Amino acid sequence: MSSVPLTAYLMLALILFCIGLFGALTKRNAVIVLISIELMLNAVNINLVAFAKYSLFPGLKGQIFALFTITVAAAEAAVGLAILIALYRNRQTVNVDEMDTMKR
Amino acid sequence: MLQMSWLIPLFPLLSFILLLLFRKSVKESTAWIGVLLTWLSLVLSIGVFLAVWHGGGIKVEGTWFQLGKKMITMGYEVNPLNALMLVIVSLVSFLVHIYSKGYMHGDERFPVFFAYLGLFSFAMLGLVLSPNLLQLYMFWELVGLGSFLLIGFYYFKPEAKAAAKKAFIMTRIGDVGLFIGMVLLFWQAGSFEYDEIFASIKNGEIAQNMLTLTAVCIFVGAVGKSGQLPLHTWLPDAMEGPTPVSALIHAATMVAAGVYLVATMYPLFQASHTALTIVAVVGGVTAIFAASVGLMQKDIKRVLAYSTVSQLGYMMLSLGASGYVAGVFHLTTHAFFKALLFLAAGSVIHAVHTQNIEEMGGLWKKLKLTGPLFLIGALAISGVPLLSGFFSKDEILASTYADGKYGLFWLAVIAAFMTAFYMFRLFFLVFTGEPRSTEHSNVKNVHESPSVMTFPMIVLGLLAIVAGYVNTSWFGTFLTDYLAQGPVDLSHAEHHTPVWIPFVATGVALLGILLAYLIYQKKTISRDWLTRVLPSLSDAVYNKWYVDEGYDQTVVKGTRGLSKLGVLFDRYVVEGLVSAVTASVRSLSKFGSRMQDGQVQSYGTFAIFGIVLLLLIVALTGGYFS
Amino acid sequence: MNTWLLTILIFSPLLGVLVLLFIPSSDEKSIKTIGVLGTLFVLGTALVTLSAFDIKGSDLQLTETYRWISYEVFQSKGEVSYPILYEVGINGLSMVLILLTAVVSLLAAIASFSIKQNWKSYFILFFILEVGMLGVFASQNLFLFFIFFELTLIPMFFLIGRWGYLEKEKAAYSFLIYNGIGSAILLIVFVVLFMKTGTMNFDRLAETLALPQAQLDQMFITKSFKMGMLIALLIAFAVKLPVAPLHSWMVRVHVQAPPAIVMIHSGILLKIGAYGLIRFGAGMFPKEFHSLAFVIGLFGVINLLYGAFIAINQTDFKRVLAYSSVSHMGIVLIGLAALNDAGVTGAVFQVVSHGLISALLFFLVGALYERSGTSELKAFGGLAKNMPILAGVLLAGGLASLGLPGMSGFISEFMAFLGLFHKMPILAAVGTLGLILTAVYVLRAVMAITFGSENEQQSGYPDLSSAERIPAFVLLTVILFIGIYPAWLSDMLRPALDAILLGLGG
Repeated sequence: MSSVPLTAYLMLALILFCIGLFGALTKRNAVIVLISIELMLNAVNINLVAFAKYSLFPGLKGQIFALFTITVAAAEAAVGLAILIALYRNRQTVNVDEMDTMKR
Repeated sequence: MLQMSWLIPLFPLLSFILLLLFRKSVKESTAWIGVLLTWLSLVLSIGVFLAVWHGGGIKVEGTWFQLGKKMITMGYEVNPLNALMLVIVSLVSFLVHIYSKGYMHGDERFPVFFAYLGLFSFAMLGLVLSPNLLQLYMFWELVGLGSFLLIGFYYFKPEAKAAAKKAFIMTRIGDVGLFIGMVLLFWQAGSFEYDEIFASIKNGEIAQNMLTLTAVCIFVGAVGKSGQLPLHTWLPDAMEGPTPVSALIHAATMVAAGVYLVATMYPLFQASHTALTIVAVVGGVTAIFAASVGLMQKDIKRVLAYSTVSQLGYMMLSLGASGYVAGVFHLTTHAFFKALLFLAAGSVIHAVHTQNIEEMGGLWKKLKLTGPLFLIGALAISGVPLLSGFFSKDEILASTYADGKYGLFWLAVIAAFMTAFYMFRLFFLVFTGEPRSTEHSNVKNVHESPSVMTFPMIVLGLLAIVAGYVNTSWFGTFLTDYLAQGPVDLSHAEHHTPVWIPFVATGVALLGILLAYLIYQKKTISRDWLTRVLPSLSDAVYNKWYVDEGYDQTVVKGTRGLSKLGVLFDRYVVEGLVSAVTASVRSLSKFGSRMQDGQVQSYGTFAIFGIVLLLLIVALTGGYFS
Repeated sequence: MNTWLLTILIFSPLLGVLVLLFIPSSDEKSIKTIGVLGTLFVLGTALVTLSAFDIKGSDLQLTETYRWISYEVFQSKGEVSYPILYEVGINGLSMVLILLTAVVSLLAAIASFSIKQNWKSYFILFFILEVGMLGVFASQNLFLFFIFFELTLIPMFFLIGRWGYLEKEKAAYSFLIYNGIGSAILLIVFVVLFMKTGTMNFDRLAETLALPQAQLDQMFITKSFKMGMLIALLIAFAVKLPVAPLHSWMVRVHVQAPPAIVMIHSGILLKIGAYGLIRFGAGMFPKEFHSLAFVIGLFGVINLLYGAFIAINQTDFKRVLAYSSVSHMGIVLIGLAALNDAGVTGAVFQVVSHGLISALLFFLVGALYERSGTSELKAFGGLAKNMPILAGVLLAGGLASLGLPGMSGFISEFMAFLGLFHKMPILAAVGTLGLILTAVYVLRAVMAITFGSENEQQSGYPDLSSAERIPAFVLLTVILFIGIYPAWLSDMLRPALDAILLGLGG
């Protein structure tokens, strides 16, 4: 177990986060964007858990935070999908490009 | 008496203020206020002069303001030279005041005219009384203002407007020279006071180059005011003013201020041989140049104006040739006979309502007083023996010769010949022959001017005859002895001159008169032989050697061109830079607003790039705390 | 010692605002009366201040200090407290400028009778502007100075933008943008100085900056830092003055703003630039100012000649005067660059003198505009016939502007050049060309209006009314008085200027 160093976890989280970020910023489909955000949250979870184990004072705080995050992420996904469905009902699209009401 | 000399300039100032304030209520009786107040000045001046004659002198000064540790002072000073000037100025001013009562009769702005005369007299008397260069400069400019106002008195005439503007600006150019000279002297000698400046010159505290530079700068001021060569063009144009003004300002007093300045600063000029030579050359060249132009002018006042320029050149020549006394002597006599000539010319103009001598003629019989008086003036200025001009001109020639400036001497002799010729050309054309009436003038029904105008002329006529006897080798050199009391060292002015000089001077004067007689009276020589023989020369002379045109082409056009260039620069470069800045801001803002596309994703992208950039900076610089 | 006098003086215009609030905005006559009375009250307060002011005293007088804002900043050294005080006080220089402000404001209020609409808001803004101007000259720390400095900008923006002529909005915006940039630079300088030295008080700042370099190095104040600060200050005030390439806003304001406002603008607001140069530039960075003297003198001569050359070719009288202001501000720089008694006194004299002269000339422009609806030179001619008083005063104003002896303009030009000839004779000699050019453009413009033959339209214009004569004659009298008896002004200024010159080592 302990043969896997901290940097490996952090690298994994970094890669996951970047993939998520890339997806969130570039994908046109709102569902994919939501999934990408989940990906970033999970990257954060990995970091939290990794630091909980490898920090100067190992403990459970990080893992507890990860549980919180998962809960929040689930709630967020639910709300996000609900908004998405409401939007789809109104505008018949989930394409992010067309959602530029902020400009108007 | 001497303690009261500060009152002399204040009477005309009082006249100026009173007349401006009450100009509506007093109408033409204002003249008497002006006459009375200048009379008081005259009486005081004569009293002061007599006190100085008996060896008096006074200098009173008080602090005007303090500049660091240096006190700038104001006050008054009476010495032989300026006591003489006081009498000349207040006398001519007084006579011109009386004369103007008749000449300006019926003018709508009669009180204003007298107010301006008062202002001018105040400034001129103040200039003369000044004990330091700064005060002199201030009054110097005020004198210019008085001249400007009076030249432009007929403000509705475009020529008068142009002439007034020209007079102010041309003399201002000279004034800047004086200004520079004065300021440089201040930093060299540490004071504006004449005494202290002369003291530090004497002690050799000022480098030779600096002496020459300051002397030349001050001379530039004199050149502007006295209408000497490069800056003379305003003086003939100034004849647009009323004729009494020409007599007062542009013949007797203000134009002589330049000569007075050089005379006052004479120790400075004496210390620099180069400066003296420059003064002499400018004076001599001006004398013959202006005399040549005077040969062919058709306007009676312009002939007199060029004659004034020429005579002022004589005075400068004399001063430049170490003839201090001769210069001041000529200044005195010239003030009388030139004022007389102008007043007589004014009387003629008053009678015939034209200034063109081609439209006059045969006035001798009609103007029984003006004619002989004009003749006296003409004889005096020509240098005919026994009249005042003869003695002073003779002394100038003698001192020039004695100083070894033979070239300038012969120039001056030729100029004397020309002077006699053009004065008598004027005399014969105006007073003899047949009346040449045109639609502009009425030469037929002319009347002699009222006595209020002839009285001043008679006084001046007498003075033009006798003024020369104050300094002759026959009766005594009163003036020389008198001026020797002053601060100027005249010891080396004693010189032996050849006896033939008075004969040469008389000879050329009579020759000039004879030639004028032959051409314009006897008509044995055709009037236009010069035009036929040398048309280009006569054209050049008639057009005043194209100096005005030359200035128009170079200085005026150059200034205007620079000004246009400045406007273009302002409009395109400065404003262009401004619009370039605004344009770039605008395009930047367009770019910025284009980024605000309403897409959350692009906002996110920018935010991410921003964070990355900031992190990079921190990573590279190591942050604030390290 | 705290007397309330200065604070009362600074905020005395607010009394006018207070009264105005109770007047219905349609009551034109009482609003204008209150406008004049309000500024008269300010002038009265200023005169009381003058009587309380000891002319011979060299120190700051009538000082007031109150704790205002203070906050703690946590630094590695520990907790440092930065108090910002309300500090006012005056020396001779400020006193003179405050008097100038009070006088010109009163006369501008009288000139404001020609305002056609929205009198109430006009005068409220006018009073606020006056508070700003008085405050600028009385404040003794950077923070307060900056607040009052900004306080002049905002009312000015509205006064130009609402009551000006055709292109008023453009003029107002270019005023705001240029001055905003100047203020921004000023703010940066002030904040940096505050952070480095921990004080905002003028005198203490000057003391701190005059410490030996070794001590300053500990405070991270290097030589090049000081130089940078000075250059930034110079640029900020150069916008205000204005100096040659930064002048286009000022020309626009002069042409577009209502004449009464231009009287204030040209008479006082431009002078804040000069005041800042003297107070901050020469007062706080004397050594660096010394090394920049040639550049400042050069800019002065450029300003003088540039403004004059362009003024020669203008067809609108207002534009002639605007460029003449550019030219005359060059003399302020020339005097400052000389760094000696004569020069610096000359610069301050020029500030006062130009304030009075341009107020007079713009007042007359307003009078002319009211009669004819134009200020084009071509539209006039021969005014001396029907309007002899206006023509006479205009001529007198023009002569004062070209520096005729006996009037205030001469004293300032003379002293500024006297100073510069001592230090940089060749530059000064080039500059004297400006004296000739000034005569050329002033005479050209004034004579185009008053001389020549009149056109028919003008014969109907009335001469200056008695209400209009008051400002004209008051200004003319003061101009003549300073010209004839300059000691009155120079005695009041000497202690303040001596202190600055002592720092300059001149």
